Amino acid sequence: MKRVEVKLSLAVVAPLLDLIKRMVDDLRGQLAAPHSLQDLDEELGAAWKGELLDDQKEDCHRFLALFDREFFASGMVAFDDHNAESVLRACAAIRLRLRDRELRGLSDDALEGAGVDVAQLDDAVQKAYLCYVFLATLQELIIQHLDSAILEG
Amino acid sequence: MITSSARTDVAPAPRTETERALAGIWRVVVLNDPVNLMSYVVLVFRKVFGFDEPTARRHMLEVHEQGRSVVWTGLREKAEAYVFTLQQWHLTVILEPDETR
Repeated sequence: MKRVEVKLSLAVVAPLLDLIKRMVDDLRGQLAAPHSLQDLDEELGAAWKGELLDDQKEDCHRFLALFDREFFASGMVAFDDHNAESVLRACAAIRLRLRDRELRGLSDDALEGAGVDVAQLDDAVQKAYLCYVFLATLQELIIQHLDSAILEG
Repeated sequence: MITSSARTDVAPAPRTETERALAGIWRVVVLNDPVNLMSYVVLVFRKVFGFDEPTARRHMLEVHEQGRSVVWTGLREKAEAYVFTLQQWHLTVILEPDETR
């Protein structure tokens, strides 16, 4: 089993966790991406959404479990076959929620092209943008090192 | 031996409006979003559809540049299963009838 350990800067990452947890709380009961099958009957539609919400909640739970006692002691987080997919999906969900809630003032072009002048943002948006970039960095790390495990899993 | 006179012809039950609407061939269409990383979308396409890297990349670029890509075409039930899986990965996806057939 391949395992990737990453040492994060506690000084940079720890202050982002309260906003990340707030976004996870905000995702309870709501899907990160629109659920758009209009012609499902009501019962099937509710079951469909319920199952997606359960999966989203489980993924976010596994993601938050990275930031445990060991992380706060050493800054280390670890990815492997067991958590890589969940962490990837949770990062996607939280980034989508950050975009909807905290980064509405930034254009799609700015977000896609990373053409954001962080120094020009007010403190709250700056923090949200740092979370957004941090989560993308975790995704890139996982994709770079564990893509085979994910594709074969 | 079953003779033709013994055969019972069963007329098909009339199809409801919904059944008629859901029959036929459907397209699974992924729409662009400004959030998900290109590398993430490529990985999801490879994982969900078993695409090779160039095919997954081609679909990802279609989504990115044209706003949408038809990633699968076929019967409704399987199309719904793909939509569900893509939604688990937080891609924005719709189903539309393939009216070209």
